[in-house]
Amino acid sequence: MGRISFFLKEAFGSLRRNYFMTIAALVTVFLSMVVLGGVLVFVYTTSALLSEVEQKVEITVYLKTDPDPSQEQIDALQAEIQSWKEVKSSTFVSKEEALNRLKEDFKENPEILEGLTGNPLPASFEVSLVDPKTVDTVAARFNGNASVDEVRYGKEIADKLFTFTSQARNFLLGFIVLLGIVAVLLISNTIRLSIFARKREVEIMKLVGATNWFIRWPFIIEGVTVGLFGAVVAVVVVLVLNSVLIGRIRDSLTFMTVPLDAVPYVSVTLILLAVGVVIGAAGSGIGLRRFLKI
Amino acid sequence: MIKFEDVTKIYPPSTVGLERVTLHIEKGEFVFLVGPSGSGKSTFIRLLIKELEPDRGRVSVGGRDLATLRRWKIPYLRRNIGCVFQDFKLLPNKTALENVMYALLVTGNANHDSKKKALEILSLVGLAHKEDSFPNQMSGGEQQRVSIARAFVNHPPLLIADEPTGNLDPETSMGIMQLLYRINKTGTTVLMATHDREMVDRMRRRVIALEEGKVVRDQKRGGYGED
Ligand SMILES: Nc1ncnc2c1ncn2[C@@H]1O[C@H](COP(=O)(O)OP(=O)(O)O)[C@@H](O)[C@H]1O
Ligand SMILES: [Mg+2]
Repeated sequence: MGRISFFLKEAFGSLRRNYFMTIAALVTVFLSMVVLGGVLVFVYTTSALLSEVEQKVEITVYLKTDPDPSQEQIDALQAEIQSWKEVKSSTFVSKEEALNRLKEDFKENPEILEGLTGNPLPASFEVSLVDPKTVDTVAARFNGNASVDEVRYGKEIADKLFTFTSQARNFLLGFIVLLGIVAVLLISNTIRLSIFARKREVEIMKLVGATNWFIRWPFIIEGVTVGLFGAVVAVVVVLVLNSVLIGRIRDSLTFMTVPLDAVPYVSVTLILLAVGVVIGAAGSGIGLRRFLKI
Repeated sequence: MIKFEDVTKIYPPSTVGLERVTLHIEKGEFVFLVGPSGSGKSTFIRLLIKELEPDRGRVSVGGRDLATLRRWKIPYLRRNIGCVFQDFKLLPNKTALENVMYALLVTGNANHDSKKKALEILSLVGLAHKEDSFPNQMSGGEQQRVSIARAFVNHPPLLIADEPTGNLDPETSMGIMQLLYRINKTGTTVLMATHDREMVDRMRRRVIALEEGKVVRDQKRGGYGED
């Protein structure tokens, strides 16, 4: 009988024999991975949501009106703006278009606009950025420009949003790390219990002259098996719950475009499986350590 | 084969396990280690397989000073020392045959002959028909014979037995003794701790007597209690 088949036979034999412990460890892995998966899904969704909101940070550059800048000046400014690498896109809004927009906004009560003579509205550029955090720098460049009257970009809102999103990301990251540690402790404790029940067996193996690795392999195979199976079931549950919830949220949130497909299923699956396997193996290794010192 | 030089073992905080023990056991000898309960017999044996470290003095086995033996090499030492215990120490979830084979598998040179070899040893101890029985399906005497088969399957140069007949009735004990005697005849050094007076008296072999951790008698062809 080859070594590997012996180890596999040992591992699966003892998983079957100690089925109560096997189930306890499976449930522990499963629950930890469901929570971890839930947090991952939440993190992916919220960070997609947050970056969508961040993308909405836009600079509006109002041009002078009295007199209006010439077409050459406008073209020159447009070319300059588009040459900046921070800028994703810029749209020119002419005086006429501005007026049309205003009329559109007030079409319910057009009497408000009745007093308007001519077109007092300024033309403007709407500039969106590659990285919204560069908003200050870009806005400052318009200072002193002959054709520019005013630059608006909701500075305070942008700042608040950025601090909030970066804090939210740090918090969630910390939460994931904490959760990982708790899961490892929980699982290595469950496995240690199962190993404790087999302390005598391990002692006998050592007295017969088994090396530590000879004793360890079957335990590690057990841990990996439990970790993998627990994680597989958790992946299924997390992904099914996620798609059910997406449907629900979509039905109830019609006023907002939530990027609900932000969760990269493949990475979530791989992360959960990898963490499950590592935790199972590490749990066995750590749990066994005390008993090998004979 | 075995050398103890001025060996002292104190269990913390201050229980004497062995005290200043010096003795030699030659290759091929059959030696009884006798003494009342708590006299240090098991301590002696646990020092031999480096389950314990002496506080003072030197223990060597087969010319090898155990103090210089690295931790990771201990399993290789133990494969050269067959061990038999009062409580048999069989793996409860393995059959008689699997228990014997385990000792072959741990050495890493198991092959298709292993099963044949294990079966041969089992029939040597008279248990060929019990190969598929689990420990809890066998009598104490049978379990002890399985454990002797396991200890001997690698043909170790040294076999030690810590009160192997302690849990067995006199008749069964006699069978176990016979087995150890035969093993000794193959050239294997046998060290047996016991307080079975009748057995020791009958065998007329070397007797080392311990009391409170000290060697109080070492006789070439002794009996249990004579001076
Ligand atoms: N693990 C231990 N911790 C503390 N004291 C021990 C331990 N093992 C044995 N002893 C003590 O050491 C002495 C010798 O014990 P032992 O070698 O087991 O004797 P024997 O095998 O002859 O009955 C006894 O006093 C016993 O109580
Ligand atoms: Mg004892």
